[in-house]
Amino acid sequence: MNPRRRLDIVILRLRSTFRRRNLESELDRELSFHIYEQIQENIESGMSPDEARRAAIRRLGGTDQIKERCRDMRRTNHIETMWSDLRYAVRLLVKNPGFTAVIVLTMALSIGANSAIFSVIEGVLLRPLPYANPDRIVRIYVNSDMYPIFPLNPNDFKDLRVRNQVFDGMAAIVRSDIQLSGAGDPVMLRGFQVTAGYFHVIGLPLAQGREFTADDELPARGHIAIISDRLWRTRFASNRDIVGRTITLEAQPYTVVGVMPPGAQHPGNNYHEVADGETVDVWCPFTFNLDPNNRGSHFIEGFGRLKPGVSAEQANAELSAIFSQMINEHPQSKGWRIFTRPLYQVMVGQTKQMLMVLLAAVGMLLLIACVNAANLLLARANARQREIAVRTALGAGRYRIVRQLLTESVLIAIVGAALGTLLAVVGVRLLVASLPPGFPRALEIHLDLTVFAFTLAVAVVTGLLFGLVPALTASKADLQESLREGGRGSTVGRGQLRLRNLLVVGETGLACILLISAGLLLHSFVNLLRTDPGFQPQKVLTAEVSLPSEQYRSGKETDQFFKHLIAELKSQPGVRYAGIGTDLPWTGYDENYGGFKIEGRSAEYNDKTTARYHAASPEYFQALGIPLISGRFFNDVDDVSEQNVLIINQAMANRYWPGEDAVGKRLTGSDNPTEKDWFHIVGVVGDVKDQPDSESAKPAFWWAHHQQPISDMFVVLRSDLDDSTVIDQLRSTVKELNPGLAVADIRFMNRVVDDSVSGRRFALFLVSLFAGLALVLATIGMYGVISYSVNRRMHEFGIRMALGAKRWDLMQLIVGQGLKLFAIGAVAGLISAAVLSRLMGSMLYGISGTDPVTFATVGLVALLTTTLACYLPARTAGEADPMLSIRSE
Amino acid sequence: MSKPSDMIQGTLDLLILNTLALQPQHGWGIAKRIQQVSNDVLQITQGALYPALHRLEQQAWIKSEWRASESGREAKFYTLTRAGRIQLKKELEQWERLSGAVGLVISMTAENPA
Repeated sequence: MNPRRRLDIVILRLRSTFRRRNLESELDRELSFHIYEQIQENIESGMSPDEARRAAIRRLGGTDQIKERCRDMRRTNHIETMWSDLRYAVRLLVKNPGFTAVIVLTMALSIGANSAIFSVIEGVLLRPLPYANPDRIVRIYVNSDMYPIFPLNPNDFKDLRVRNQVFDGMAAIVRSDIQLSGAGDPVMLRGFQVTAGYFHVIGLPLAQGREFTADDELPARGHIAIISDRLWRTRFASNRDIVGRTITLEAQPYTVVGVMPPGAQHPGNNYHEVADGETVDVWCPFTFNLDPNNRGSHFIEGFGRLKPGVSAEQANAELSAIFSQMINEHPQSKGWRIFTRPLYQVMVGQTKQMLMVLLAAVGMLLLIACVNAANLLLARANARQREIAVRTALGAGRYRIVRQLLTESVLIAIVGAALGTLLAVVGVRLLVASLPPGFPRALEIHLDLTVFAFTLAVAVVTGLLFGLVPALTASKADLQESLREGGRGSTVGRGQLRLRNLLVVGETGLACILLISAGLLLHSFVNLLRTDPGFQPQKVLTAEVSLPSEQYRSGKETDQFFKHLIAELKSQPGVRYAGIGTDLPWTGYDENYGGFKIEGRSAEYNDKTTARYHAASPEYFQALGIPLISGRFFNDVDDVSEQNVLIINQAMANRYWPGEDAVGKRLTGSDNPTEKDWFHIVGVVGDVKDQPDSESAKPAFWWAHHQQPISDMFVVLRSDLDDSTVIDQLRSTVKELNPGLAVADIRFMNRVVDDSVSGRRFALFLVSLFAGLALVLATIGMYGVISYSVNRRMHEFGIRMALGAKRWDLMQLIVGQGLKLFAIGAVAGLISAAVLSRLMGSMLYGISGTDPVTFATVGLVALLTTTLACYLPARTAGEADPMLSIRSE
Repeated sequence: MSKPSDMIQGTLDLLILNTLALQPQHGWGIAKRIQQVSNDVLQITQGALYPALHRLEQQAWIKSEWRASESGREAKFYTLTRAGRIQLKKELEQWERLSGAVGLVISMTAENPA
């Protein structure tokens, strides 16, 4: 099309739109000219003027229809039609405030819920990770038959870094929290040691200064650090000369060489934990000071940036090839395999299932809302049959009628979406605030243009969806029939009734699916809460204290400090037990196993032994409320001068000494044990699982902290005092002993318990909310259809009563009608739910996807609400007046 | 009488454009002319004619102006535009191809009756 013609068409369209009045009068004149000419012709052929006029008009056909079709021809750009349809729709909706409010609110709730959930999905799953070319970053792990996923050995990492051809760069990190002093109160900072070029590899440029170089990896280099923007602002007053300045970390001078930009998100953590995101404050160089022949210690997390054009498979293949070469050189690495995983999957993969379940739930809610809206519109379209018939008679084509009705439904949806967006603004804030701790990318969740675009698209699609069926049905209405019937309460075609029944059946089914999902989550949650955690979380304070190795050089000094600390704490009133341990229940044990040898067992047997290892002080178990099964707890006599002692858990006792008493048995970690290398098992304690929903507890043992002191320990205090007093007590006691020490991660054990189920509670709450709304909507839908059909049949009921039907019979009839619809919907819904619940997989705990308790309960609840929904219309039916019916006959 | 639905829509457009190619004309005149030229075979109903005129005008193939008709009354006269002439040419070619093809099929069948 040439530009000139295109311009002409645009001008014509604008003219049609804005000069409508002119065009209308022109159309009148044009047609009347035609009639005039026809009349002249008729007169010439010998008719009387009157006759000529009548014949001409007859000849022309319906002027209004012609005019309307001419208008249609002009409305090629639809603007004008839309404008007039829109004005008409607004007028109509304003005229029926009750109807409008119900339908708009329904849509607002469901669209708002969708927008809120979508904004979480958009921020967490859809938006690219905040690094340069994030899809090229992979995490590198090893595994073996025993360990499904494990960190790298630093020497292995070094070899891989030199030999591979698939990465633009490789880097490794290891979590290493660090104590800051000399800048306000001492504080424990979340920190990582990172290899040279780490920030380059993940594509996160520094705001100031430089990152670590290969030289910084050498042992015995000066202490240097990169700090976060937050630390720079809060502790160093955004000092412009921070780079090059010395700060005190672990009681040592460190030179700041760089500052990260605000909001920089750290993509990694220990391999079993979610990414640390924004919480990291200090990065120090990782130094390779391990014995070069050590290939057995695995503790660093590998990253790689794939070269452009290199696929993950290629990288895996090459790394495997290099790794098997390395195993030849260092046979002690035998049994390990290497593999990569996309960073995206590692960072947000764990949330995907839950978010998808939420999206599915909220999507179903939207569908139900659509069905409800469609039902309401159908009922109203019925009441509007006469209006539509009149419009048709005046020349409106079916297309125009459908269009008008769709404009109305889309308008409803868009108004609903606007309201829903307001709800979503609040909703997203609440959602983010109640996200389970450690949820990745929580800070990136907000309503943005993408979410708005999504909301608008959802509104238009739902508007069309719930408007289409009513519009098509209404526009099909028989003109003659409607006009004749229009005067008195019009009848509905059987087809339409069937359609409405179908909608209610669908709605009931969807609501059942949602209720089942919520029920399964609830039952899982109850199961979880009902399982014995293996410890008593009430009134237990925990905190982390770590001793800088520069101040506490020997194990003896470390032990001395903790002994003093525990003694001080115990001397205070209200403290029942005070202990220390390397780990706390349910906080994500690092899943490290150690191998050991059991006295008197074969070498092959001892090759396969593993258990988790920890250290604990005498009162650690009592403080946590972990029960003793047999033997004894540690005591203060267990120290360096005595024989080495161990406490093991029930799972370990069952695995390695089934049917016999483990107490008194000996094991060792040494290859050629002398007498002092043997550890005597002195006690067996109850099992505590890694996480509340772990399948079972893993074998584990504790050595006595006195005998092998560790400098990073968790303090565990069981006390009768109120929370804040205990915290103050702990803080001041530590401060008295060493004012330079930070007391980190202070929390009560019941908070830990709370956090560990928070992900489930979050999903449970939302799905239940959506299911509750779905139930309400489905009940309203059922009520609407039944009461509508009752109103239609009141006349018939009157006659039935006159013929001897009892009130009770009629009520039974109505409730039965509702229950029949319900039964079809519920059966379909429950079957679908049984199939779909498989998708919830690990979100279920202690039940199967077809949990009979849940299915029975949901069926019953739905049955009750349906009966309730039918009861009111049934009562109306029971009040049918036979006299009224007969009189009107 | 040929009902609008019997006539392929494009054919009506073609007839109108072709009629206007001779001289500007009003709706009544167009209908009359088509009727005369086709020996009363083609009778265009108003219900089809006017929407078609408005559609063609909206496509900028014809344009309209008000001026006095032969009878002295003001009438809306339609004129073919340049784009309309090109369109007419296209439609004529298409029509010839189509009618030629139809003719061919019919004559083939006539020669070889089953």
